[in-house]
Amino acid sequence: MNEKKKNGVVQAIGKLWTHHSYIFIFLAILIVYALVIQSNGNTFKMSHISAILASQTTVIVGTMALGMALVIITGGIDLSVGSGLVLVTGVTIMAYNATSSIIVMLLAALIVGALCGLINGLMVGCAKMPAFVATLGTQLIYRSVTLTYVRMVDPALSGSSSSQFSMISSNKYYNALRMGFGTGKLNLGFIELPYITILFFVLLALFIIISTRTKYGKSIYAVGSNVRSARLAGINVTFVYVSVYVIVGFLVGIASFLQACKLGNITPASSGMNYELYAIASVVLGGVNMAGGRGNILGVLFGALSYTTINFIIVSIPSLSTDMQDACQGLVLIVVILIQTLSPIIKAHFNTAKKRKANEALAK
Amino acid sequence: MKILEMEHISKSFGGAKALDDVHLSVEEGEIHALLGENGAGKSTLMNILTGVLEADAGLITFDGKSYPEPTIAQMEAAGIAFVHQELNVINDLTVYDNIFLCREIKGKFGLLNKKEMIEQTRALFERLGVDINPMLMVSELKTSQKQLLEICRALYADAKLLILDEPTTALGNDEIDHLFEILRNLKKEGKSFIFISHKMPEIFAISDSYTVFRNGTFISSGKIADTTPFKITCDMVGEQYVDEDVYEERELGDVVVKLEHFCGQGFTDINMELRKGEIVAFTGLAGCGASELMQTMFGASVCEGGSVEVEGEKVQGDITDFMKKKVAMLPANRKENSVIPDMNILENTYIAEHSISRKKPFISIKNETVKYGKLKEMLNIKEESEKDAITSLSGGNQQKVFLARWLNTEADILLFDNPTQGVDVGAKAEIYRLILGFAKAGKTVVINTLEIPEIKKVADRCIVFYEGHIAGSFTHEEIDERTIMAHSTNAVETREAV
Repeated sequence: MNEKKKNGVVQAIGKLWTHHSYIFIFLAILIVYALVIQSNGNTFKMSHISAILASQTTVIVGTMALGMALVIITGGIDLSVGSGLVLVTGVTIMAYNATSSIIVMLLAALIVGALCGLINGLMVGCAKMPAFVATLGTQLIYRSVTLTYVRMVDPALSGSSSSQFSMISSNKYYNALRMGFGTGKLNLGFIELPYITILFFVLLALFIIISTRTKYGKSIYAVGSNVRSARLAGINVTFVYVSVYVIVGFLVGIASFLQACKLGNITPASSGMNYELYAIASVVLGGVNMAGGRGNILGVLFGALSYTTINFIIVSIPSLSTDMQDACQGLVLIVVILIQTLSPIIKAHFNTAKKRKANEALAK
Repeated sequence: MKILEMEHISKSFGGAKALDDVHLSVEEGEIHALLGENGAGKSTLMNILTGVLEADAGLITFDGKSYPEPTIAQMEAAGIAFVHQELNVINDLTVYDNIFLCREIKGKFGLLNKKEMIEQTRALFERLGVDINPMLMVSELKTSQKQLLEICRALYADAKLLILDEPTTALGNDEIDHLFEILRNLKKEGKSFIFISHKMPEIFAISDSYTVFRNGTFISSGKIADTTPFKITCDMVGEQYVDEDVYEERELGDVVVKLEHFCGQGFTDINMELRKGEIVAFTGLAGCGASELMQTMFGASVCEGGSVEVEGEKVQGDITDFMKKKVAMLPANRKENSVIPDMNILENTYIAEHSISRKKPFISIKNETVKYGKLKEMLNIKEESEKDAITSLSGGNQQKVFLARWLNTEADILLFDNPTQGVDVGAKAEIYRLILGFAKAGKTVVINTLEIPEIKKVADRCIVFYEGHIAGSFTHEEIDERTIMAHSTNAVETREAV
């Protein structure tokens, strides 16, 4: 009986490993993080996990990565999310400074974000431009336009005279937005969860439902898996392509709102740099296939957590200079993906060898 | 002398045995026909021979040397060349570039010596009697020329044994004759061939000996001179295949589809009426326009003139507009146009229904599973679980899933483009029986196929196409292989003209 139970558990873990290997990858990375902290002479506590959950790369990048995953599942890519974040956050902060209204601020973020996405979507879906090129173009445009604008705009609107957008602290609701929501935490007793992380989890749940329980979600996978079959099954392929970019834009809008509330300002020259790459890395670490058609939105959560934890590990190793951080990140990323791509090949090789041996033994 | 000897070859994919202890031996200087239905294991064996797949067990001896674990490079160097059905020439390079790919002649400073390569290509073509300009881009060649180019390429590499996988499917009669002439000449030079084909007349015209596989096992082999097409067919299909006539006459209903002066890419001015419960077969040579007509009747290609009426109403627009009028189309080339490889069987079944039921955005997996269960039973789909990958099924079962996909949209007009393509004989008979069942239930079925005996089995009417127009229309009694061939090749008009 006990034996049977054990087998069941082993099987369940095996299934988890094949379909949700990103969980194990995250756990492995987390263990390394714990070991690094212990070796620094500190104890690994819940507050460390809380810090991972609250990090910029988990929440802001993770939010954008949810949409990025959908785009990648259709076989596309969106390189404009980092500079889109800068542009939309700029607009969001100005909307707040001008009106002091939370509703206007939120609407500005969502509408401008969705518009930025719509431009990408129309180029990719209707004009059939390669996603890589189209979104590379808008990446350059969005940041450069924001940079130019921030130098010209009236400081009363941008909230700062030093080439950045900053929420004016004397405005109404400032404390509610910044201290209450942006950096506030919900104490659950064993762990403190930032409100914005909770919002991210809500979005995550929403996107898991969209991707697995709606007809629209299935059409995204179908288009990414075989666009011809999808079209001949009556799916409006152009709509799917355009819509996923609009969704990313919409999520960039939400991320911009979170960014504004969390940090209160944004610097077009340096903020959100390479965020599109971090988002792609999170999606890939989450097990989504870059060729399209395959992947799991839950994986994006673990991908984002893994990526954040990798960053934390690097920062916690005192002997690593900050210049080496990117190299470490790149290396870890490659190793993780290497494990994912190599393991089926190695497995197939061993299986054939095994069969060969068995057949040879039979022949004798 | 034997040039190739393959013994005790076994290979399985997952749990399924693709090859079980099979043999194949080829004499030097002969054309050896490798025969069997789809799924009999021919391609698997050829992939093992060329090092693409690794066998689970078995011995390969080629040209006196044994190859325990052949790799692609080894077998290529040994002199085995595989001319694939889907041609592997590179369209964006010139003809001579293709011949010399990976073995370019280099001149000074390691730069390409184009002049020499063009000259050698010309000489090679002359020797083989091939009429292609070496300077042309491959994209400008006809399919038959690409086929010859690939054979030439293999010969230039000094291949001793060439595997030709259904080399004649895309060729016209003259082109086939030309190819065969070239093959006979090469045979005299001592080259050997493994010839994979389904067309009996060709096999008997060109081959010296044969080997038959069925379901991954070796059935028979011998000299072509000692056998008959009938015997070989029996070996190929086995006992299971009963050639029963499933056709039965039915009362037809009112006209449900009406085409008037219908024009599109590949066909012009088509007028036609289809009745409720009727089975109509479209046929004709490749490129006759029947497949294009079907796509345009489904909104998948652009209508360039005229109109299509369904149940008395004109239909225009894209695929969903036609689906809403209860039209469905099962496209040809299952792998490219039907399979969604990353989705499971249930998802593949439901994908079309989803696109006309968007008003209810959420999916109920429970309801879908129940409804799929009914379809599965009706169509006799063989699978372990509806959550398995679509790619884990055999061709025939996959096709049944796609029939389920369209039945699930509750369509009344079913357009089937080559529905038995890549499906084994057993499943073929089943699919035709199902089609008759659909018609009895009041659905209108149009089948586009090149297989005339199959048309005879099910169709109430057969419409023959030639170069984009209707060359003839025949009732069930009038359907006969010779008449239909004559109309699809336009032999009728030539005869009448004389």
